[in-house]
Amino acid sequence: MNPTSLWWWALPVVLLPILWHRQKRAQTKTVPLATARFLPAARPQQRRVWRWHDVILLLLRCLLLVTLIALLADLVLPWRGDAVLVVPGTAPSVVERDAAGFAGAHRIDLPDRDAVVWLHAHEREFAPQARLLVVGDAVMPAVLPRFRHAVVLRTATTPTAPIERHVAVFSTRDAAWRRLFAAAAGPWHVVVDAAPGPRTELIVWDRPEAPPMNLRAPLWWATDAAAWPGLTQAPSVDGLHWMDTPRGRVWHADGWPPQEPDGARALFAAWQRQHVGMQPYTAPAQVLAPDAGAPAGPASGALRTWLGMALVVLFALERMVTHVRRR
Amino acid sequence: VLSSSSLSAHSANLDLVVRHVLAGLGHGIHAGRERGAGVEFSEYRAYAPGDEWRRVDWKLLARADRYYVREAERDSHVAVWLVLDATASMAEPSRTVAGLTKLLYARALLACVAAIAQRQGDAFGLVVCRGERADFLPAARGPRHLQRVLARLDGVDADGVLPAAGTLRASLHFSRAPGVVCVAGDFLDWPSPLADALLRLRRMRHDVRALCLHTQAEADAAFDTAPAYRDPEQGAALHRFDRDAYARRRAAHFDTVARDCRRHDVPLLQARIEQPPGDVLRAWLRTPATGARAR
Repeated sequence: MNPTSLWWWALPVVLLPILWHRQKRAQTKTVPLATARFLPAARPQQRRVWRWHDVILLLLRCLLLVTLIALLADLVLPWRGDAVLVVPGTAPSVVERDAAGFAGAHRIDLPDRDAVVWLHAHEREFAPQARLLVVGDAVMPAVLPRFRHAVVLRTATTPTAPIERHVAVFSTRDAAWRRLFAAAAGPWHVVVDAAPGPRTELIVWDRPEAPPMNLRAPLWWATDAAAWPGLTQAPSVDGLHWMDTPRGRVWHADGWPPQEPDGARALFAAWQRQHVGMQPYTAPAQVLAPDAGAPAGPASGALRTWLGMALVVLFALERMVTHVRRR
Repeated sequence: VLSSSSLSAHSANLDLVVRHVLAGLGHGIHAGRERGAGVEFSEYRAYAPGDEWRRVDWKLLARADRYYVREAERDSHVAVWLVLDATASMAEPSRTVAGLTKLLYARALLACVAAIAQRQGDAFGLVVCRGERADFLPAARGPRHLQRVLARLDGVDADGVLPAAGTLRASLHFSRAPGVVCVAGDFLDWPSPLADALLRLRRMRHDVRALCLHTQAEADAAFDTAPAYRDPEQGAALHRFDRDAYARRRAAHFDTVARDCRRHDVPLLQARIEQPPGDVLRAWLRTPATGARAR
């Protein structure tokens, strides 16, 4: 349960104006009579009546309190029904095929591949009986996700074009480096540029002299540590020295360019891990059963603006009506 | 034909009510020494509005082209005192005649008495008891004084309670000269400072005539049992209507009033305000059989 939902327990506060506005007692109708002194005394009879005065003001005040509590409790209306969550980059034909059992379901285009995180944040917007289908190359979460709704994952890896990575090489052993980058097949396509440009992500500096100061790149591979003062004293991981300079991060290892496949694979893996980021796995296709005990998502604040405006308007109206009543 | 009760309820003009009531009534209630205006000629006086036309000297008008009124020596020794109880309880309305209250009825009858006194040439004064005060209008004669009394009666509304004994004693200093004291009220406060003052006046050989007003609903003890009742003079205490208790206590109260009046030789007329005012007036001013009842 969302901790802000505890504010709903403040709803009995609405009873206060209802009680304040209730005409608690009405006196019996009395008539003057000159000869009343000949009559036996009667106790003042007061009747309890369930009637309210200033009904408009009462309604305004109740609405004001309910709106305030809804604002504090972060009201989310379950306005979405059955839905098909489409991961970006999914082909329409694939969506048509996978969403076969979800005729009439609402299509929602997810902002990114992480369908589980989006669903977790927006799960309260779905009606309790809504069925959800995730189509496309969704990211696999670290642990099995729990939802209050039945979620069907019809996921599949989408073959994508390899990502281009631009590299500039300053070396006398140009051919060796090109052979190395050509070996980086798979999800990458490394393009060796003649001169560094704005898209250059890596510069290979295989020269004894220091590079010019205007040359910058996120990552440098330096073969000669003498050209980089302090690089030999820099911290190293698995024989790889690294140092941050104004030109960018510099990596250095002895024996570059790597000659054997394992060394090349380890180097590319390090580059991927440290600079590009891990490529997530595709979540396996499965059916997630609804779990009533699943934790509610974080505060969404979807209606916060509207509720805030309604609160201001109601407050102004309440003040006006109160003022008119006092006059 | 408009009944007299309705007329007195709805006419703002007391003068009209007086004419209407007195239309079938004789001219006097006692034999005064005066034999009409102008018997013992005294002087001429310039005409003033309100003077009777028959007292204008027409020969003098022909000679001087001005209106003059013959003033006569008056030797009536009777002063008529009109005492009106205008406390809050006098606002009790009739339950059958819309708009008629005890106060309106008492006002009309006292106005009639004043008109009769004026016709007879008697002096007449007015005492209005309301709001713990006794408003006093000195006794005088003449048509203009009648207009003054009628105007004063017109402006009276029912409010407050009876004045205290000290206030009344200060107001009734006229008691030296012999007179007729006509008291109209509901006599719900008995004994009261007003009752004591009346009995004292009677002991001083004034001719005290009391008119006790009821409504038909009071006489029949016929009131709605649904609402709670409160006394207009006794604060916020509530009462419920119980017919038997009401009739018993009311009869006992007015028996006490009648007994006290009889013992002190004060003629008391008990009347309902729904009765024709002419009949009540005649019964009131007739040479009394003590303790007469018109109800």
